Amino acid sequence: MRTWGVSLVITRHVLIALVIGGLGGLLVMAFLIELDHATSRSEFCTSCHSMRFAEQTYQASLHFDSPSGVRASCGDCHVSPGLMAATWDHLVGLRDLFKEFFGPDYADPAVNLLHLPEAAFSAREWFRKRDSATCRRCHTQEAILGERANTAAIHREEAEGKTCIDCHYNLVHRRVPDEQTFKRDAWNAMVEEEMGLEPGEAARLLEGPGSGCGEP
Amino acid sequence: MIVIRKLRVLLLLPIFGGVALGAILFSGQAMAEKVTLDPSLWGHPAGEACVSCHAKASAGLTDQWRESAHQAAGVNCMDCHQADRADVDAMEHEGQIIATIVSPKDCGRCHDKEFEEQRGSVHAEAFAIIETRLPALADNVGGPAMRSASCDQCHGSQVKVRGDGTLDSATWPNSGIGRINPDGSKGSCSACHGRHRFSKAQAREPDACVRCHSGPDSPDKEIFEASKHGMIYAAQRDDMHLAADAWIAGRDYTAAPTCVTCHMGGAGKLPASHDVGMRNVWSLNTPVSERQYLVVFEDGAKMELPESAEIPKRGSELTRPDGSLGTVKVVATPERRRQAMSMVCLECHGKGFTQGFMAQLDGVVGLFNTKFAEPAKTIMQGLYTEGLLTPTPFDEPIEFTYWELWHDEGARARHGAAMMSPNHAWWEGMYLVGRNFYARFLPEARAAAGFKSVELVDTVLDAQGPHQWLKDPNRANPILGFGGEEAD
Repeated sequence: MRTWGVSLVITRHVLIALVIGGLGGLLVMAFLIELDHATSRSEFCTSCHSMRFAEQTYQASLHFDSPSGVRASCGDCHVSPGLMAATWDHLVGLRDLFKEFFGPDYADPAVNLLHLPEAAFSAREWFRKRDSATCRRCHTQEAILGERANTAAIHREEAEGKTCIDCHYNLVHRRVPDEQTFKRDAWNAMVEEEMGLEPGEAARLLEGPGSGCGEP
Repeated sequence: MIVIRKLRVLLLLPIFGGVALGAILFSGQAMAEKVTLDPSLWGHPAGEACVSCHAKASAGLTDQWRESAHQAAGVNCMDCHQADRADVDAMEHEGQIIATIVSPKDCGRCHDKEFEEQRGSVHAEAFAIIETRLPALADNVGGPAMRSASCDQCHGSQVKVRGDGTLDSATWPNSGIGRINPDGSKGSCSACHGRHRFSKAQAREPDACVRCHSGPDSPDKEIFEASKHGMIYAAQRDDMHLAADAWIAGRDYTAAPTCVTCHMGGAGKLPASHDVGMRNVWSLNTPVSERQYLVVFEDGAKMELPESAEIPKRGSELTRPDGSLGTVKVVATPERRRQAMSMVCLECHGKGFTQGFMAQLDGVVGLFNTKFAEPAKTIMQGLYTEGLLTPTPFDEPIEFTYWELWHDEGARARHGAAMMSPNHAWWEGMYLVGRNFYARFLPEARAAAGFKSVELVDTVLDAQGPHQWLKDPNRANPILGFGGEEAD
């Protein structure tokens, strides 16, 4: 027994702990995988009322209805690839859940639309920071041929230093201008006209009775 | 020689601040104005990337630009399309802040002379002038879809930028010449200067005008083509030097005039101007034609004022059609405007010939006014005042009749005489005015007037000499194939 020093360390208890720990770790991994799976599904995301507006535009987009039958779910685009990154994204997503309960009434179409630009800006920033990693899950830049002449050439020669989201925004959800040229007054006026609100009501809704509830 | 000197004295005669006026109508460089901006201010560094991608994405557009003088001078996409992020219609595009619409103000960054000239012209004001009248036809008789498909195509749209930064498709695309742009400027250079080549030769062609100046209400294309001017132009087009840098009638070309020659072009000592209506004495598209003053304001805006109005004094304030007050800088009298137009004629015609032609035109306009336009207007006014017609236009047949009398047939007669198409002056014009007046308008007016028709219709006619022939129903004439033989 004394011949192997290792056996001094691997006692029975350590062995049991390792097995339990290993199994536990596997279980946690399995749990996280299942959690990511479950919470990346479109059905999960749209179970909040406020998400039905994003769902409507998504369902009208090519990412929902493509001729090839490939359908991207919410998570395919909005949750990072890789288990740790995905877990982190879901953790951050808890903030949205908190705001859903305690923030403005996002289920109200006007309130939702008024807050859409900031949501879009932060989503674009999220894509940019990750070099559009979720786009690249399905799209391989070198393989893009396109239907128009020269689409392939443009993606080869004109895309240097650019990431997908730099050019391809406003693809799936309702159109929002780039942050640099966004004009809050014009947006509010558009919402007021569309929703039949009195002039100035958009600004009041944006302040909201629940102002201070974690609004940026 | 004496005649020429006399003419020159006459032309330089100061009327209402004639020095400034001379600057507007008669002086200035006879050459095409060169851009004065420092060349270091164009050739935007990002422009190359635009071209590289657009050569692939929209090759036609890029090819047009490649063949342009802009390209040759180093002016690229960004020089015209760059925008400030605060601009209403600014958008992010491939890392640059740009705007789709290049307004006259944008073009004016380099082409400042042309921008100032077209500002306030009947072209630039083409939408503003009819804005309040537009709903009666566009919305009531037609429908909103007709605005973007027709009215706005020529008059220009009031471009609406949506809250999400997109251009409202009810108002864009549009290259109507009186377009109200997101930056507040009025007009569209590409109405005549086809983008993205902006060819001088193309803009000098009569075809540059036909998109709008054709059809029943302003058949200027048809009139030109049917005139001696158009006939000679078609035959001698090769001698027009349309692509020449400088294009002064009488010097750089003498083959024939085009629309541009008479209405905008340089001719002899008369400088070119992008104010297209400056040389027009008459309003030829109004219910009753009037000789008109051209009022130029201190801020560069312009306004037409009928001769019957009080002549505004220099420095006085005047309310403009848009309700704003303007300080009068100079006033061009109708005579002065005719002198300008005549200077073009004189490059090819004698003075007597020119004056004789102008007298013939004035005769037609005068006839239309006194025989048809004024009585018809008086009769309509009477019917409205007596409540025999509702104030809403076009809900009674006679309103269409009256509209066509001056807006279509009357305009054709007047334009036909102004540009020498005998067919348009008579068969397409005054003949139809007469037929309309006697066979449709008067019967409809009498029907609407009912028992008041003697007071509202016949007394108006009786006051007008030209209609006395109606009182003599027994004067046979063989024109219809009856009556001539018996008379012998």
